[in-house]
Parts: sequence; C-alpha cells; structure tokens
Amino acid sequence: MNTKHKPWYAIVLVSLFLLLSACSNDKPAKEADTAAEGQPAGGIAVYGSHDDIMTFWDPSDSYSNEIIAMNNMYETLLRYDTKDESFKNILAETYNVSDDGLTWTFTLRKDVKFHTGNDLTAEAAKASIERTIERGKGAAFIWDPVEEINAKDTHTLEFKLSYPAALDTIVSSGYAAFIFDAAAAEENGGEEWFNEGNSAGTGPYSPEKWDRGSQLILDSFDEYWGEWEADQYQKVVFKTIQEANTRLQMAKGGELQFVSQLPNELIKSVEEADGVSVHETESFQQLVMMFNTEAGPLKDSKVRQALAYAIPYDNIIQDVLGNTATQSFGSIPAGLWGHDSSLHQYNQDLDKAKQLLEEAGVDGGELTLTYVSSDEEERQIAELLKIELAKIGFELELKGMLWDAQWDMSKATNPEERQDILLMYWWPDYADPYSFMKNLYASEDEIVFNLAYYKNEQYDQLVDEAQEVAGVDRDKAIELYKQAQQILVEEVPGLSLYDRKYIRVINDSFGGYEDNPAYPNVVFFHDTYKK
Amino acid sequence: MDLKTNITPPPSMEKIGSKSTLSNSAFLAEIRYFFKMNKLAFLGFIIIVTLILLALLAPLIIPYPNDVALETHVENKLQPPSADHWFGTDELGRDLFSRVIYGTRVSFQIGLIAIGLAVLIGIPLGLIAGYFGRWVDEVIMRISDVFLSFPPLLLSIAIAALLGPSLTNLMIAISISWWPWYTRLIRGQVVSLRERGFVEAAQAMGVPSWKVIARHILPNSMAPVIVQISMDFGSIILTAASLSFLGLGAQPPLPEWGLLINIGRNFFLTNWWYVTFPGLFIFISVMAFNLFGDGLRDYLDPKTRDS
Repeated sequence: MNTKHKPWYAIVLVSLFLLLSACSNDKPAKEADTAAEGQPAGGIAVYGSHDDIMTFWDPSDSYSNEIIAMNNMYETLLRYDTKDESFKNILAETYNVSDDGLTWTFTLRKDVKFHTGNDLTAEAAKASIERTIERGKGAAFIWDPVEEINAKDTHTLEFKLSYPAALDTIVSSGYAAFIFDAAAAEENGGEEWFNEGNSAGTGPYSPEKWDRGSQLILDSFDEYWGEWEADQYQKVVFKTIQEANTRLQMAKGGELQFVSQLPNELIKSVEEADGVSVHETESFQQLVMMFNTEAGPLKDSKVRQALAYAIPYDNIIQDVLGNTATQSFGSIPAGLWGHDSSLHQYNQDLDKAKQLLEEAGVDGGELTLTYVSSDEEERQIAELLKIELAKIGFELELKGMLWDAQWDMSKATNPEERQDILLMYWWPDYADPYSFMKNLYASEDEIVFNLAYYKNEQYDQLVDEAQEVAGVDRDKAIELYKQAQQILVEEVPGLSLYDRKYIRVINDSFGGYEDNPAYPNVVFFHDTYKK
Repeated sequence: MDLKTNITPPPSMEKIGSKSTLSNSAFLAEIRYFFKMNKLAFLGFIIIVTLILLALLAPLIIPYPNDVALETHVENKLQPPSADHWFGTDELGRDLFSRVIYGTRVSFQIGLIAIGLAVLIGIPLGLIAGYFGRWVDEVIMRISDVFLSFPPLLLSIAIAALLGPSLTNLMIAISISWWPWYTRLIRGQVVSLRERGFVEAAQAMGVPSWKVIARHILPNSMAPVIVQISMDFGSIILTAASLSFLGLGAQPPLPEWGLLINIGRNFFLTNWWYVTFPGLFIFISVMAFNLFGDGLRDYLDPKTRDS
C-alpha cells in the first residue's frame, strides 16, 4: 500500500465504523425515570417468529399468521379465557342475552378512541362488523347466525340472530371480530390504506414501521383506554427469523423476549441456559391428515381405515415430538368443549390394516403425500409414514412444498391431480368446535379447507344443527358433535393425529405472559411487563 | 499456404484421437508422465476412483443398508459418532455413515446423467453450428447466448422451481443450464479445425459432411470437452446439492448430500456431526474433480505442457 494514502484509509474506516455503529443500535428506549406518569417505559419487547408476520392488513379479511400482531392493534368486544372458560370484557362493558338466545345486547365502553382519533360508538362497531360480513373473506363466516345489527344508542349494540348460536364466542374470535373505524378507513382508501401499514383499531399498539419479511414495529397508543404502567413496553417488535438456530441464539442472548416456536431437539439446550425458560401449555392446534375421498385408492373407506391402522402414533408422539403432544380423540382437541375422550382412537395394528385392505380388494399402490417443506415435524412424520405404509404395500411419494403450492395442488380442478394425503395444522377461528367440524369436513361447493373433499349429508346436518343449538343447549350440541365425530371415526375422511402442546421460550425479564390457545401464538403485550 | 504444417494433426489428436494407435507401454508412459507432472491431479484421481468405488459398491459395503430408505430407529435419534455409527445417527435414528456413503451413489448418478444430457445436447449443436456456419451458426449460438446470459445456478433454480421438486427434474434443470457451455466450446474447436488441411483434404476427396464431422472433427475437438467434463462434474455435484438444499431437488428420504445438510442444519448447534460429514463429502469430491480437471487441462494444453 502506498503510504501517502494511509490517512484517507483511516478516515474512511472511522466513518464506516461510525456508520455501522449508528445502524446497529436501535433508538434507545426511554428510561423508566424519565417517563411521564401513566406512560409505558419498559423499553422494547421483541417477538421472534419463524414466519412472515403480516399476510393481511385488513382487519375484515385477516385469516393468517398476522393474528399475532392484529390482536395487539385491534380489539374485540369480549375475550375468551381458556383457563377458566370465561369471557373477559374488552370493548364491551356488560352484555346480556334474551331467554330465547336470539337477541344479544352489548353495552360498549365509553372512553375508547380509535387510532384514527375518533371515538368508539355503537354505530362504528356495527359498521365494522357489517363491513366484515359484506366482504365475506377470511373468517367472515363466523357471523352466519347474525341476522341484524342495531345501534340502539351511542353505546348500546344489539345483535338479532336467526338461530340461538353462542354469540359470546363469536364476538371474541381472534379473526374477523375486530371492532375498528370502518368509516375513516373507507374514506382513506379501505383495503389499500390498510395494506400501506395503517390501523384503525382501538388496541394498545399501533403500527410504526413495517419491513416486509423482516420486522413489524408497533408503538404504544397514547390514548389507549386501558391504563399504562411504567413497566409496560412502549414498543413491540415482531421479528421474522426463519432459522431456528438463530432464534435460539437470539433468545439465549436476551435479544428476544418471546419465541413462539423452536424444534423439539433445540429445546433441551434452552433448558440448560441462563436467563431464559421454557413454557409448555396445551393448545387447540392439531396436526390433521386429510385423505382424498374423491379419487384414487382412498375413495374406499376401508382403505382409509387401513391407513389409520398403519400410522405409528406412539413413535410420532414419543420420538418425533418428545411427548409434547397427545394423540387426538376424534376431531375436537382436548380443552375445547365438545372434545370426547370416549371416541374410538386408532392404534397401529398392521395385521388389522392388511386384513382391511384384503376386504377392500386392494393390495397396495402408489400414494402421494404433501406437507409443508419448512416444517421439520411434518417432514419427520412423513418419512415415518412412508416406511410404515410400505409395510402394508403402499409406496408413498413425499412432496415437501410451500404452503401456498400445497394448497393450490389440493384445490386442483381435476381430482386426479390432487394429492392422496395432505398434512396440515388446524386451530380454531374462535373457541368453538364448529371451526373444526365445519371447515374440515362439511361439504363444500368450492374447495377451501375440506381437503378430504368429503361429502356426507348426514354429517352436514348434524354439524349445522349442533351450531344452531349451541347457544341455548350446550349438552345437545355436544351430543350432536359426538355423533358427527363418530361418522368421522368410522369413515376416516381425515384424521387428527395429535393435539399439540405449545412450547414457548421466554426471557426471564418478560412478565405477565399467559398462553391462551383460543388465540394461537398471540401475546397480548398490554398484559405483559418488564420485570 | 504451407500444406505440410497444416496437415500435421493437432497436438490434441496425438493424445486423444489416436490414443488407440499408441502401444500399451507408450500409453502407460504417458499416464506416468501426466501424474508425475501433476501430483495434485494424481491425488484428485485417487479420490475420484475411491468415490466411484464407494458409489458402485455402496449397497454392499454400508453397514445398515435398510437405513437408506426402508427403516427408521427413532429411539436412537441423534447419537454422536461411535463404533456402531461412525458418523452418528440422524433425527430418525438412521446410520449417517450408511446414508452419506449411499449419497455418493446419488450424487455421482446425478452428475453422470446431467453431464451426459448436457453433452448430448451441446456437442451435436456445437458441431452443426461450427461446421455449417452462416445462419445455422447464428441461430444456434444466439439461442445458447440466451442461456449463457444467466448464471448456471440461478437458471437451474428457476427451471427446477418451474418443473417442481424431484430428482429427475433436478437433472433436467442442470443439463438445460449446462449444454450451451459445450456448444460454445465445440463450436470454437470446429471453426478452427474445419479450415485445417486434413479436413479440407477429406472434403476434397468427397467424404460426406457427417463422416467428416464424425471421423475427423469430433475426435480432434474432444480434448477440451474432456477437460470441461472433469471440471464440471464437481460443479454439478455442488449445484445439485445446492438445489436439494433449497428443497428443489431430491426429496426425503433419499440421502442426497445437499438434502442431508438442509435437514441437518436444524441440528447444527446441538449435533455437529449431522452437517459435517455430508459437507465434507461434497467438499472432497468437488475438490478432487477440480484438481484432476486442472491437471488434465495443463497436460492437454500444448502451451503449458512442457513448462
């Protein structure tokens, strides 16, 4: 190197260093002692997710992973508490239901402001739900029983139902039940305006910055109706970190307050680490295996039963999942009303499977199984299935795909082009068995989630009837769901393999967190604080 | 034109084209000379031969043949290397040594088929373009330029993504990205050869074009192709591993090296052996082909031959 250039190099290096150090430091959080009274000053809470955060921004359409952020920007009338199976008032102060179960009246909070600056009124709440119903996207179907919504006065909202459904569970849904300032949103450009990263909710946090595929930063909402304490977080960051090892390292290094998911094999090393702990809770999430009942060898229910007898349930739960799941009974997960542990549970019995195949006159063949390629558990299970199904004569071709591609293939117009077996997770839109029973197996004219393509009128009737009586006669609904589940056990259009437990990695300084499986993977950050 | 010097066969012909005319002892002497001149190429050659033997004999020599695709032993998952399992076990309790060795067979099979396809498409097109020239040349070379304008890995990824993930599609994707390199290489050779005296002599004697190409041009243009093949084999193994790593190639449970690394990286921090051994095999085989290819190039290139 020519010596006379040295000072330039030094200057460039120093400026580069300064630039880098400026980039690497997020703005320092306000210190607790400098914060004004009633303001959060707990700093920044970071949520580490394996997937992209925002698929939908529109609160009417939301039906995907964004649930974790949406429930901090938007609120519902009630919130379901899975632990004591009760409803907590959020935007509703009180509510009551008429004796016939057809009229529900909610009195709204009076001190609530939207992020747009407007006040929450019954008229605004009505407009937001009506917008969701009108758009008919995502989980809008949950409002099916609602015939009419009336704003009786500024803060009284009345729902008239066509049948006595459990409206309290519906209004507490983590999808499609958000109350927002629909009028202001529409004035600004509706869906497009939402997609630019705007919120019209009432939640404790509002969006500050969104980098697609990388992070979403939410800032505390100064005019939030709930009070702010000094130890609460003034900013919440949702970071997408696809590599499990990186999430693990960041959690151990204290850079993440909360990690929603880590492979079972990595959990062990967290248990031994300082400053972080592992929380295990029951969830409503099931791994579902859908059989193609419309084409190929699985059209015959005997063949599907044979497959159900060939699955190595114990190996999957003990060895792949390290006992962080339990084998499902029927199609409603444990903990959710309607769950029935007296239903027949399949076990691995290859002799029985072979016998059933013989009765069906089928001696093996080729089958295709699709799964989400980035999901380590699904892949391991798929590999185990390949080996076990080979023992009863089926050659299983495994196709690891991105979810969108997997879903597209399952909806192919020609049934022959679809997969024979599909693995996917299901969790409820709201804490109600209807979400499982209706979406997964009720007849569909246009394929959405009934990826078994199952059609059974008797089943459809039972499920619809159960939904209609659930609001007034829970016992009868449970009985009807039991009958419907018995049909599923008998005909095996699909099979819930296991009820998953959630394993969370939490920083020891992160207080107040409680897992609520009715809102899968959601951290209600206003309930949390810095220890 | 000095006819005499033009009729002299090119140096490459002495080595490749008329190899059969060399006596056995002279041929062995040539080989001895080649390896003596290129010690590293010799090392590469030894490794390649070992890997080929491993690939051919894999089903016979691996200790747990059923662990390739037929069995799992989940109760033994992620065991560190031991006397029973030299490379440890994977997340389903399968013996990684057996899987990695079997992976040699998979990778070599991919390399052979992909290169074979690329050569089968590339060489005839290059011969036609170079020999007939004019618009035929223009059309063929412009088409190959379109393919050459993309980096091979990127093009392979795009094609594999389009065709869907499978081993066959992976090989198709790789050969589609590689054939133009052979076309261009051969065309360059043919263009210089077709002006040479021995070709003109054959043409003057009324030998049909196809015969001139097959008898005189092709054998004399093979030397750089052989060097190219030996160099590309390593790159293709690496590309195949990259595509499988991205989920676009081999599908589980096939123990393809790239796929093994893709799965193993989930356990990288807790179970080091999972990614290490398949990674080592990719490294060693790519290096061996590069060393051998480099040596071969030096040997066949008259400019470096006696330097």
